[in-house]
Amino acid sequence: MVIGGGIAGIQASLDLADKGIPVHLVEKSPSIGGRMAQLDKTFPTNDCSICILAPKMADCFGHPNINVMTYSEVKEVSGKAGDFTVKILKKSRFVDETKCTGCCECIEKCPTKVPNEWEQNLGVRRAIYIPFMQAVPRVVTIDRDVCRKLTEDKCGVCAKVCKREAIDYEMKDQEGEINVSAIVVATGYDLWDPSVAPEYGYGKYPNVFTAMEYERMINAAGPTGGHIKRRSDGEHPKKMAFIQCVGSRNPQMGHPYCCAVCCMFSVKESMLAREHYDDIESTIFYKDLRTCSKNFYEYTERARNDYGVRTINSDGTVKENPENKNPIVVYDVGGRPVEEEFDIVVLASTLIPRKDAADMAKMLGIKADEWGFYTSPDRVMNPGETNVSGIFVAGYCAGPADIPESVAQGSGVAAKAFEVLAGSER
Amino acid sequence: MENDKSNEELRVGVFVCHCGTNIGGFVDVPSVAEYAKTLPGVVFAMDNLYTCAEDGLAAIKNAIKEHKLNRVVVASCTPRTHAPLFQATVEEAGLNKYLFTFVNIREHCSWVHMKEKEKATEKARDLVRMGVARVKLLSPQEEPRIPVEKSALVIGGGVAGMTAAHSLAKMGFPVHLVEKEKELGGFVRNLNNLYVTTKDATETIMPLIEKVKSHPNIKVYLNSKVSNVHGFIGNFDVKIKPNDKDEEVEHKVGSIIVATGAIEYTKEALYGYNVYKNVVTLTEFEIMCKNKTLPKVKNVAFIQCAGSRGQDVSYCSRICCNVAIKNAINIVDNYDNLLGIAEQTGKAVEEVPVEPKAPTEVLERRRRRSSRGRGREDEEVAEEVKRGPGERIEVTIFNRDIMSYGIAHELYFNKAREKRVRFVRYKPDRRPEVIMDGDKLMIKYFHETLAVEREMPVDLVILSTPLIAQPDAEDISRLLKVPCGQDGFFLEAHVKLRPVDFATDGVFVCGTARGPADITESIEQAEAAASRAATPLAAGYVQAEAIMAHVDQEICSGCGTCIDVCPYGAITKNEEGLAEVVAAACKGCGCCGASCPENAISMTNYTDEQLMAEALAALKEAI
Amino acid sequence: MAEDFEPKIVGFLCNWCSYAGADLCGVSRYQYPTNIRVVRVMCSTRISPHMVLRILREGADGVILGGCHIGDCHYISGNYYTERRFEMMEKMIELAGLEPERIRLEWVSASEGERFSKVVSDFVSQIKKLGPSPVRNKPEVAKKLEGAENASKSFRMKALVSKEYNLLTKENVYEEMLDPERLRNLIEQAANDEYERSLILTLTQDKSLSVKDLSKIIDVPTDRVLEHIVALRQKNLIAMEHPDGFTPTYHAIIIGGE
Ligand SMILES: Cc1cc2nc3c(=O)[nH]c(=O)nc-3n(C[C@H](O)[C@H](O)[C@H](O)COP(=O)(O)OP(=O)(O)OC[C@H]3O[C@@H](n4cnc5c(N)ncnc54)[C@H](O)[C@@H]3O)c2cc1C
Ligand SMILES: Cc1cc2nc3c(=O)[nH]c(=O)nc-3n(C[C@H](O)[C@H](O)[C@H](O)COP(=O)(O)OP(=O)(O)OC[C@H]3O[C@@H](n4cnc5c(N)ncnc54)[C@H](O)[C@@H]3O)c2cc1C
Ligand code: SF4
Ligand code: SF4
Ligand code: FES
Repeated sequence: MVIGGGIAGIQASLDLADKGIPVHLVEKSPSIGGRMAQLDKTFPTNDCSICILAPKMADCFGHPNINVMTYSEVKEVSGKAGDFTVKILKKSRFVDETKCTGCCECIEKCPTKVPNEWEQNLGVRRAIYIPFMQAVPRVVTIDRDVCRKLTEDKCGVCAKVCKREAIDYEMKDQEGEINVSAIVVATGYDLWDPSVAPEYGYGKYPNVFTAMEYERMINAAGPTGGHIKRRSDGEHPKKMAFIQCVGSRNPQMGHPYCCAVCCMFSVKESMLAREHYDDIESTIFYKDLRTCSKNFYEYTERARNDYGVRTINSDGTVKENPENKNPIVVYDVGGRPVEEEFDIVVLASTLIPRKDAADMAKMLGIKADEWGFYTSPDRVMNPGETNVSGIFVAGYCAGPADIPESVAQGSGVAAKAFEVLAGSER
Repeated sequence: MENDKSNEELRVGVFVCHCGTNIGGFVDVPSVAEYAKTLPGVVFAMDNLYTCAEDGLAAIKNAIKEHKLNRVVVASCTPRTHAPLFQATVEEAGLNKYLFTFVNIREHCSWVHMKEKEKATEKARDLVRMGVARVKLLSPQEEPRIPVEKSALVIGGGVAGMTAAHSLAKMGFPVHLVEKEKELGGFVRNLNNLYVTTKDATETIMPLIEKVKSHPNIKVYLNSKVSNVHGFIGNFDVKIKPNDKDEEVEHKVGSIIVATGAIEYTKEALYGYNVYKNVVTLTEFEIMCKNKTLPKVKNVAFIQCAGSRGQDVSYCSRICCNVAIKNAINIVDNYDNLLGIAEQTGKAVEEVPVEPKAPTEVLERRRRRSSRGRGREDEEVAEEVKRGPGERIEVTIFNRDIMSYGIAHELYFNKAREKRVRFVRYKPDRRPEVIMDGDKLMIKYFHETLAVEREMPVDLVILSTPLIAQPDAEDISRLLKVPCGQDGFFLEAHVKLRPVDFATDGVFVCGTARGPADITESIEQAEAAASRAATPLAAGYVQAEAIMAHVDQEICSGCGTCIDVCPYGAITKNEEGLAEVVAAACKGCGCCGASCPENAISMTNYTDEQLMAEALAALKEAI
Repeated sequence: MAEDFEPKIVGFLCNWCSYAGADLCGVSRYQYPTNIRVVRVMCSTRISPHMVLRILREGADGVILGGCHIGDCHYISGNYYTERRFEMMEKMIELAGLEPERIRLEWVSASEGERFSKVVSDFVSQIKKLGPSPVRNKPEVAKKLEGAENASKSFRMKALVSKEYNLLTKENVYEEMLDPERLRNLIEQAANDEYERSLILTLTQDKSLSVKDLSKIIDVPTDRVLEHIVALRQKNLIAMEHPDGFTPTYHAIIIGGE
């Protein structure tokens, strides 16, 4: 069983399934893909994230050995390596997955609009929705908290427009039990909300964005159709600032660690800005520019030299020019504070374990560090193993990792899980 | 590639889908189906509300049986998501899945021409005609299954190679592990302790070495190299040759993992390296710690990015910041102890002489020298260096950015700062300089914050030079037909999604052979490579898609153009010097087909004729 | 040109990026004109120049090729070759007297749905501006295109174009990289030669022609025509006749059934 259908979980599932092992992939959200599906381009090659991910998602979903359970959660785990019993809650979508063709006609007709969390609340979605166009499986889901039919027994329009009669307001959550030999946890990360740190002005000043908001904005399929727009007036910015280590490497904020991907994604985002608009100037404020994987340093040099990205080694905090709503970054030059006005500011806010990571750890009996990342008892020589034999961890939930590392870890734990299975055969 | 149904009468069935109103709302679907019936070869056509729904699929199966269809066209949504479903359906009805063609009248028609129903309908008709033109030229294909030799070869016996071998062995596959040195362990044997822990390096990997040596599935070849490799995924013939003998052993293996590691970069006169005494590299320093051959010091300086990040090599070596921090903490915390032991055993040195040698050789020399007794005495320097007991050693790390990524490293970095290790940043246009002022080693540097030039005396300078590719990486690259990147390290198939695969199927890479990485990362990659390598072994066969190149040996002149252009090395020359496609390796891109100067290559399921028929049908009513 | 001219356009899209981009375009309901008919190929590298030339000869008003962005090709390096071949196609089309703007190569990623609609709209209006393909009413253009088609199939052209990328990026056995300028010239020269020779063969298939006739039709000086004829005769592809005693004429030797 694999818990979490991000890139790490997908890779682990595919690797096991290709070896002939039946895999149950349990994903909490309505679609597999994880965070990577939200990103626009990816460092260090700037190739489009969904383009390279979508075929993997489709492979995973269509694989004869993989049973993909989306909109599902693990509720209880008992047993031991070679023989775990897992209780799974399959939440009701109120839509029959086998009937829905993903035509999305119902969505257009649904009158209820709520902020779209997939788009980092930059856009709206309906109560019946598909998280993103390339979602796998491509079926809609009704948000039970806001649907008028389910909350007030009014409306019901989606059932009327659906010619496939896929919509079923009576559909119930289902519980089931599955027996598995090994468990891979790959639940990824959450985004830290920088509004708790007032010095960055997020949530207070409209033109301060988080990096994930920015990723969605610059994505051609995102809420602004790939245009970077100021929240205050919709204008496209000419001068942008990126502030690194927002909340990370910062014991006061409770995250003394380095999130290991922010430097690179900010460099990437500053380059993408330039690819979209010739006239954008970007500045990155950093503590250390951690560009230490294959081709990463060369990538930053390219950003500096070919894309005219300015890098300034300093912390930055944000104020606002109340007249034009321009954010002002206060930084440090030779010990003296300097102020500079920008059109927008993008915060590389830190990444944290999933909200329910601690519950998951408790349920599985695996250990986590003080922040909630799952740990291995022998960190150096046995990464990916946990204190419970037969349970393995991969991807960001086991500590900061970028996509290639998450993929390698996904494959790596597949090897470990396969070792368990091969061992038990004999 | 005989078309065994070629004599049979063509009986095409066309299924046009409304997709609810998605197509039906913008295209006159029934008229398209009616039109399809008029096309030569079409014996059956119908429209469906939802072709992909259970009833729609049943309708296809029925029609195949009832109307003896031998070709099927579905006009609906996109093949990228739905082709497998319909292919499976026609197969269930006993039709080869390659006799099916998909026509996209939703994404490519109804959804993009929502305001022009008439023109959209006309386009849909054209598209159906194109599909029919194509389907008539298709022939049934078998997907070749190529059996796989269920064993693996691992090249390199460092942590990465050992981990990969051990993992495969545990999965039950025989592994041949080839190491060119006399011992397993690789680079870690040079190291003192490992960062983030205080564990002794060799001790840490000892259990792994033991497990590898004793595992019945692993055969270790020490002091040996791979001398020859032939074949393709599932079927490699490899030859292993001991370094000191001429007899080769031959094996057949299904997968190959490259884990040949990396070495440390050194350069004469880089920051006084090999020009001044007491200038050493990180590795040399680790060896000195390990062997307790340390000099007395009071001021130590590390220079980070020595030779890397654009100075000599372009990349960042990832691990050296954290290795430097580790050693800085060791020096501050534990130097007296280490030196004490060194002095007791008579190994301590007064100074580290100028001596340009590879790490292990340096080690040997130094050991011999110290056992011969002390070198030259230099009273004055010795005076300088004397510290009172308990007096701290000042450690300065000259750096550009400290790459203590992730959790543990960052905390370690903080610990170093707490221990008052000094971190001084420099810019590449103003690097620090190592100079000799009379007899004193000095570092001249520019203090960025204060914007002043400074000098400080040092007793030992440690250069954090990058890892570089093995000098013989090129040989392996040629042997296995796998590429090395510009930085000299092996180049993976896809930077993000295939980090341990080579583009060539059946060959994988892990550890520092792929690029700088620490032990944990090398092990993660090794496990990943083991998983990837085990996939064909576990399945027992590789299944090639039938979309693949085929060389007509009658026409081929053996010019080799196709061999050059194929990105997967899937074409080889046979004994007659003519080109031959290795089915298991070909991915069906068609590059060779478009390149072959003799037009000898055809692509199954995408032949020139099929593509042309489809394209030309767009232009003309008649087919 | 007539206002209501609706061009016929054939598109070849690679499965992994440009076809996926076109799919996303549909999913997002970006509208574009109905003139394009798409043929799906696994990779843009599959498309041989002669195929495009043939389609133009058969009366298409335009052909558009779509691939992944450079560096993103699913098959690693396929689209580099596409780029090279495309240059050759343009050259050939120009030689045949057609506007090179009738063909276009675009990189469209799987997330550029909107861009796909723009690319198609733009190409359609470009073709509308050019007007209907002259092939439709000028048979000699078709003949010339046929010459170009055959030239693009010739050993020399295919070998050169296929090797161009490798010659430019990898060292040859002498460990030197070819000067790109020199190589371009070489290819340009070869394209001219091959085109003219193929055209001579195409033209002399139906009836014998003299050097002068040929020179006039192809618009090439007589000495060059003669050079070609010598080359073709060496390969035994063309035969000489002396119909009225002194002005020799030539006709193509047709080998085999076709
Ligand atoms: C702004 C930004 C830009 C980035 N850009 C890049 C880049 O350019 N290149 C790069 O290499 N990396 C980049 N990254 C990092 C990259 O996103 C991560 O490395 C990668 O997505 C981690 O994948 P994962 O599978 O571990 O986690 P995720 O993608 O988070 O997947 C976890 C999955 O598990 C599911 N899940 C969570 N909890 C449960 C549960 N309890 N039960 C069941 N399922 C659950 C989630 O719904 C999700 O689908 C970026 C990150 C950010 C924030
Ligand atoms: C100064 C220094 C300090 C370090 N400190 C730490 C630390 O504290 N913590 C940490 O985690 N990492 C540390 N590292 C990194 C660590 O050494 C590497 O991550 C690790 O050694 C990589 O293992 P590997 O198996 O990939 O390569 P290697 O250990 O280099 O092993 C490769 C093996 O392949 C063999 N080989 C090479 N070519 C051939 C061939 N053609 N045929 C057969 N065999 C061949 C070699 O002889 C060698 O045995 C340090 C590195 C350096 C330079
Ligand atoms: S390119 Fe064509 S002629 Fe040349 S070797 Fe390959 S198949 Fe044979
Ligand atoms: S089709 Fe592509 S992968 Fe197959 S042999 Fe030809 S060039 Fe190689
Ligand atoms: S696969 Fe798109 S260009 Fe090669």
